[in-house]
Amino acid sequence: MDKGYKVQVEDLHKSFGDNEVLKGVNLNVKDNEVVCMIGPSGSGKSTFLRCLNKLEDPTNGHVYIDGYDISDPKTNLDLVRQNIGMVFQHFNLFPHLSVLKNITLAPTQLKKADDAEAKKQAMHYLDIVGLTEKAAAMPSQLSGGQQQRVAIARALAMQPDVMLFDEPTSALDPEMVGDVLAVMKRLAQQGMTMIVVTHEMGFAKSVADRVAFFHDGLIQEEGTPEQVFDHPQQPATQSFLNKVLNV
Amino acid sequence: MEQHTRRKKWLWLLVTATCALGFLYFNQQTAHAEPTYTIGTGTTFEPYEIESKDGSYDGKNNGIDMDILKAIAKKEHFKYKLKVMGFNAQLQAVQAGQIDGMMAGVSVTDARKATFDFSTPYYNAGEVMAVDKNSKIKSFKDLKGKTVALKAGTTGAIYGESLQKKYDFKIKYFNDSNTMWNDVHNGGTVATFDDGPVLEYGILNGVPLKIVTKPAKTTPVAFAVKKGENQELLHKFNAGLASIKKSGELKQIINKYLNGNAVKTDTASQRTIMGLIKNNKGTLLSGLWMTIELAVLGIICATVLGVILGVMGISDGKALPWTASTITYIFRGLPMMVLAFFIYIGMPDVIGQKIPLFTAGIITLTLNEGAYIGAFVKGGFKAVDREQWEAARSLGLPYNRALWKVIAPQGIKFMIPSFINQFIITLKDTSILSAIGVMELTETGTVIISKNMEGFKVWAIIAVMYLVVITLLTWLSNYVQKRMRV
Ligand SMILES: Nc1ncnc2c1ncn2[C@@H]1O[C@H](COP(=O)(O)OP(=O)(O)OP(=O)(O)O)[C@@H](O)[C@H]1O
Ligand SMILES: [Mg+2]
Repeated sequence: MDKGYKVQVEDLHKSFGDNEVLKGVNLNVKDNEVVCMIGPSGSGKSTFLRCLNKLEDPTNGHVYIDGYDISDPKTNLDLVRQNIGMVFQHFNLFPHLSVLKNITLAPTQLKKADDAEAKKQAMHYLDIVGLTEKAAAMPSQLSGGQQQRVAIARALAMQPDVMLFDEPTSALDPEMVGDVLAVMKRLAQQGMTMIVVTHEMGFAKSVADRVAFFHDGLIQEEGTPEQVFDHPQQPATQSFLNKVLNV
Repeated sequence: MEQHTRRKKWLWLLVTATCALGFLYFNQQTAHAEPTYTIGTGTTFEPYEIESKDGSYDGKNNGIDMDILKAIAKKEHFKYKLKVMGFNAQLQAVQAGQIDGMMAGVSVTDARKATFDFSTPYYNAGEVMAVDKNSKIKSFKDLKGKTVALKAGTTGAIYGESLQKKYDFKIKYFNDSNTMWNDVHNGGTVATFDDGPVLEYGILNGVPLKIVTKPAKTTPVAFAVKKGENQELLHKFNAGLASIKKSGELKQIINKYLNGNAVKTDTASQRTIMGLIKNNKGTLLSGLWMTIELAVLGIICATVLGVILGVMGISDGKALPWTASTITYIFRGLPMMVLAFFIYIGMPDVIGQKIPLFTAGIITLTLNEGAYIGAFVKGGFKAVDREQWEAARSLGLPYNRALWKVIAPQGIKFMIPSFINQFIITLKDTSILSAIGVMELTETGTVIISKNMEGFKVWAIIAVMYLVVITLLTWLSNYVQKRMRV
């Protein structure tokens, strides 16, 4: 295990019954690095991401976050999770709470801030995602794109070191995608460490420091966007890119 | 995982605290009952027991038993608290130690002597057969092939059963004299065997039956305690009885009831629905109040149990969900009446302590309704999208915070309709507690009818009272539901 990495994944295996979904994934992510993961549906991208904050229990292998082994029973998982923000495909806002309360719930519950402080911070993050005027709204009153931006603000309010995104734009109408990607791009530019599962190849090209091609439970190929997109080495990568780029 | 053990600890703490509270509560209830004797009596056994209009025994004509008991207590300087319940329930309650003795026109029989100690008899009663006043039946021979009404567990019943083979009749059992007499009058059964004085007094007060046989099987009537227990009370009773016998007071009391000098029950004008309501207002309202008290306190306790069961039901691991579903299975499966008997009559034998009637009622409701609530609380939690758990946990919220701040507020939406339904069911289920003698609305109805024989009118009044309360409750719940949806 190398202290220099923010996220370090060693030989990660995950099976659902007989179905081995992850077959020994290795990945190292440095501070401030943005890694985009691409790959066909069902290849295990979501499962991989969910193993990083232990929403799924890995069958084998190790995940270190900031050097802490999260499969070690002595590790305080809740504490580790506070440092890993996660953004879901379906936003998963808390429908019974206002936008503001969605954002302040965790910081106040976990005593990271008192009510006034948490509210101030929430407004700050709403400002970052461009939704200050929606603070009092209920999630059901927002468009998908707005909900996803609130979800990002909610994750940011815990001031995480790493952000995980699982296809954050694939449940959105096309005209909403841009706003969400813009927010993510700004985050990347400000130095956030990010692992992004996405089908937005344009975003991956322009924002990622590194692109990893996921196929059949393994990272088949990784490199800079130029390397992966312009000079793919593996036949699987080539055929995948052919499919997604030529539609 | 660490948060799992912490969660378990928290759960057990809650369970223990609830049990401790419950125990304290029922200890308190028994503690201050200690210095006085608790004596059982019936509601429907005239002339031995005659309740006042307000349901107490404080009036002028309380019946032979109550007058004698009062006189003896005065002579012997002891205090007593009356526990009013059905005859069989009393027999069981004496044996279970729930009550110290029973003063309920108990006939001294050999069978009972095996488990009871009796005082000196204060009266000798014979068994007679009675038929409807227009009936053609004159003797036992006319009973062949017909059905006879008997009050379960009484000397009259024993007498009737002893004649059954010879005269070849069928038997139908009842729990109180008045329902039974009504049945004979209405032709459901053709005759009844009952204590002579009981029937005599009833007929004197308008029961439309006639006595057609001479008193037989004369048996002494006495005060009873559990065999080998409460001997001091028994001695006091005997001493007091001896002294009122000597002073002539005993004879006076008996004559008062059997020579028709006692004030008769309701007159015709009081037998209209309005008259019945007016006459029994106090009793009806106190019954209604008891029903509401049971329902409200019952649903509160049941909700606590139900939430605990629901939380256990959705937790990780095997032990807690298994425990929860076993508890649910048992208490949903048991008929509530069996549960009530088990707790009130059965448990004191095991724990060696009386359980007050009200407490027993609440425990019964809590376990039964709690099991149902547990099932839909679990269902409500599970109906919340799994992704809500993931969103909450990925923010770093521990299991319990996620449950109470994110999952529960959403799950409640699914539970509200079932909860309201359960409240209404609980209110209705309180009537089952009349089986162990809780003086709620249904039992109140039985008592009132025992005094005036107006079955149809009284049950109609009771039915309307239930409907009114349930309608109010439904309105209230619709209102709450509307507010919740906003
Ligand atoms: N909880 C689960 N139980 C059983 N199988 C699962 C579970 N979650 C995922 N799988 C299986 O694991 C495989 C990988 O799924 P995963 O969601 O990780 O793929 P993905 O790469 O994210 O695909 P997509 O691009 O469609 O989101 C699939 O075959 C899926 O059926
Ligand atoms: Mg996926």
